[in-house]
Amino acid sequence: TLTTMLPAAPGIIHLFQCTMATGADVRDILELGGGDNDAGPISKKDLINSDKKKSKKSTETLTFKRPEGMHREVYALLYSDKKDAPPLLPSDTTQGYRTVKAKLGCKRVRPWKWMPFTNPARKDGAIFHHWRRMAEEGKDYPFARFNKTVQVPVYSEQEYLMYLHDDGWTKAETDHLFDLCKSFDLRFIVIHDRYDHQQFRKRSVEDLKERYYNICAKLSKIRAVSGCEPKIYIFDAGHERRRKEQLERLFNRTPEQVAEEEYLIQELRKIENRKKEREKKAQDLQKLITAADTTTEMRRAERKATKKKLPQKRETEKPTVPETAGIKFPDFKSAGVTLRSQRMKLPSSVGQKKIKAIEQMLMELGVDLSPMPTEEIVQRFNELRSDLVLVYELKQAHSNCEYEQQMLRHRYEALLKAGGDGTHLDEGFGTEGQDIIKAEDVKGEAKEQVIDVVGAPLTPNSVTKFCADSTMGGTFEALTFVCCSTEVIASLGPLGFSNAAETHQNFTRFSKISI
Amino acid sequence: MSGGVYGGDEVGALVFDIGSFSARAGYAGEDCPKADFPTSLGVLAEEDGGAELAGEQEKAAGRTFYLDTNALHVARAGMELISPLKNGMIEDWEAFQAIVDHTYCKHIKSEPSLHPVLMSEAPWNTRAKREKLTELMFEHYNIPAFFLCKTAVLTAFANGRATGLVLDSGATHTTAIPVHDGYVLQQGIVKSPLAGDFITMQCRELFQEMTIDITPPYMIAAKVTPQAHSRLGCLAEPVREGMPPNWTKKDRLPPVTKSWHTYMCNEVIQDFQASVLQVSDSPYDEQVAAQMPTVHYEMPSGYSTDYGAERLRIPEGLFDPSNVKGLSGNTMLGVGHVVTTSIGMCDIDIRPGLYGSVIVTGGNTLLQGFTERLNRELSQKAPPSMRLKLIASNSSMERRFSPWIGGSILASLGTFQQMWISKQEYEEGGKQSVERKCP
Repeated sequence: TLTTMLPAAPGIIHLFQCTMATGADVRDILELGGGDNDAGPISKKDLINSDKKKSKKSTETLTFKRPEGMHREVYALLYSDKKDAPPLLPSDTTQGYRTVKAKLGCKRVRPWKWMPFTNPARKDGAIFHHWRRMAEEGKDYPFARFNKTVQVPVYSEQEYLMYLHDDGWTKAETDHLFDLCKSFDLRFIVIHDRYDHQQFRKRSVEDLKERYYNICAKLSKIRAVSGCEPKIYIFDAGHERRRKEQLERLFNRTPEQVAEEEYLIQELRKIENRKKEREKKAQDLQKLITAADTTTEMRRAERKATKKKLPQKRETEKPTVPETAGIKFPDFKSAGVTLRSQRMKLPSSVGQKKIKAIEQMLMELGVDLSPMPTEEIVQRFNELRSDLVLVYELKQAHSNCEYEQQMLRHRYEALLKAGGDGTHLDEGFGTEGQDIIKAEDVKGEAKEQVIDVVGAPLTPNSVTKFCADSTMGGTFEALTFVCCSTEVIASLGPLGFSNAAETHQNFTRFSKISI
Repeated sequence: MSGGVYGGDEVGALVFDIGSFSARAGYAGEDCPKADFPTSLGVLAEEDGGAELAGEQEKAAGRTFYLDTNALHVARAGMELISPLKNGMIEDWEAFQAIVDHTYCKHIKSEPSLHPVLMSEAPWNTRAKREKLTELMFEHYNIPAFFLCKTAVLTAFANGRATGLVLDSGATHTTAIPVHDGYVLQQGIVKSPLAGDFITMQCRELFQEMTIDITPPYMIAAKVTPQAHSRLGCLAEPVREGMPPNWTKKDRLPPVTKSWHTYMCNEVIQDFQASVLQVSDSPYDEQVAAQMPTVHYEMPSGYSTDYGAERLRIPEGLFDPSNVKGLSGNTMLGVGHVVTTSIGMCDIDIRPGLYGSVIVTGGNTLLQGFTERLNRELSQKAPPSMRLKLIASNSSMERRFSPWIGGSILASLGTFQQMWISKQEYEEGGKQSVERKCP
């Protein structure tokens, strides 16, 4: 009965051991099976060291390797080292005495003793008492090695007189500074706090640092062994002072100032965003214009070429058509045998909106949506549709610009009404148009005006800016353009607030282009 | 190296922290003081020849001192109440000695010559007083080693910091003390008298206004009249709310002095302070305060009533002294201002560090809502670029004893053992060594 109980309750062993069981019994129970010293009483050593023998045994019996993928816990259930059935009651000591949690009694206790000690970090040799292990008696105090001090240079009277003299400092004051440096380990803020400001002048932390580091630098220069470069730290007191002053100013900002700065930064970001947007728009427009220009010029060149038979020169000068304008039909030359009607298929890059627009315009023009694909028709048809897309885009750009102009005009007029300050503005501009913006609105925007110096296109201030600046106009140049096509002519008047010369220039271009 | 504390080494040092309200003492390395008793002591002028020499009394030339909680609370004829400290510094050395004697004799129960002593001091302590204290400890008590450390530094250590702004609101004053790398920056100390005693005074005025008598418990024999007592048997019915108290005075009370009576009354008020008062979390508003739940409080005499807006109005003076009655036209600083002013006086480079650890300590900060309000005030006043952190331990023990705890930590550090002014050093360098060793 004993042995059956054991796996589940090994703690009972102690009980047996001390009450009734002889050494042999216990050995038997624990399967220690000692060979030669059977008769002797069981010792603690037997119990604790038993694992060595047992582990040897168990490694012999354990032949089954754990199959791959099987969890260790599951495997342990199947194959405990003794191949016993697993215990019915959960217990963490199936291993018996093999793993003793606390290594009890392995060593002798190491006694502590209240003993006197001297601390090498102290110079007076004072004796204190503390608890320490007997074994460590007489050893060095373990905390003494943490005693670190800063090396503050010492100067002699002579050295001071020869090199270290400074008109702003007396020897006594310098000595005082160096004393403090030593006792506070160069914590200059504390030094400044404890500085004898009554006996000596009032000095700032930077003054103290400057004096100290200057002396250090001089001393190390003097004392440097000839041949090797001394390490000199340079303290830039002026820089430090400026830095602190700046910090101080930053610290002393009132909440209003902080809020204002925040606001300004936000506004700046807004302005920059608008500027980017505008630039992007201008770029798009520019692209369209050049596209329009090139297509018309190409046409002309073709015609000239057909008339005068001078194709070679023109072709070398022919600029590349920008990709955004028109439709770029894929090249079918290398694609093997295809239906020609395939060439009329719009490429997938053309959006639904554009396709719709093309269809509508073709209907308006009375052109068949899918004409007979002869060689010439395919080419012309594709060209036509490409031009249609270009026109469509230009129209859109035009209406955008128109809209913007209208808006700017309204704003400008409101501004004129509110401020009445339009002396430097173009006379011909802004005399007509209705003012829908109330004066209050403009007043509300007054703050924005002040800030918006970069010139966002949508603020009245920017308008005045642009108009006042006669050299400007590059941005609005893009707004002035003309386009023509063999079938459709879309002409746009000058839109921007460019100066007269530019308008004139644009008109000449218009007349040039629209043959 | 003793195993328990990392980096610790036990040399059997004692830590004394004698504040203006209570004195704390105990062994270094422990987590709370062994002794904590009122600093105030009762004094009897020696006329009767010292007939009784009971346990808790100390004698000094012509005066008998009664100290520690028990002896102090006995009503004695002609016993005046004094405090050995004035403005946080030792003023009455005899009385101070009585406290130290008492601590050694009744709480530590050991020989002073066996234990090094670490003592706390007010950050603005004068050189003469420090030297005198050093002299006293070495000459009179014959201690083996001594160290003096500012309370603010110890508080910072107790909170695990070497740099920080210590806001100490105790009994007599509220101070903000910048501590940098374990040193107090004396130029940056800001003091304000708005502290626990100020609140006590305000409460006293409130009771006068409400015509509530403060009856200290020592006067009360029973809380029912003799007739009622005989009629109802032993049942002492509680007096209904707002009704006049119903109690009998002790007969044969000795003629007590005014100072002692005031002290006893103050104890009642202090209990009221701790249990009723609350700091509102935004600037005081009569209407908001009226909405707050009232708190019921019963006096020792049995008188009880509810306190509404008053419980918010009184502590408001700590933060906004501008409309405190009796202080009109004052220039005192509220708690939030004390902190910001102190930080503003320090070097710009260390200000972020100070804002980053504002350590709140002292018994007065245990007022309900104190830290929340302070946090609010500071976050409004501090520049937005500063990271603000308020360090306030939640346990009242740590808040009240933080200088002692810091001293306990410091004196039990292995690396600290080189810092003591040893007896040898004292004998060689004289009392001036305290200036050199404990700057």
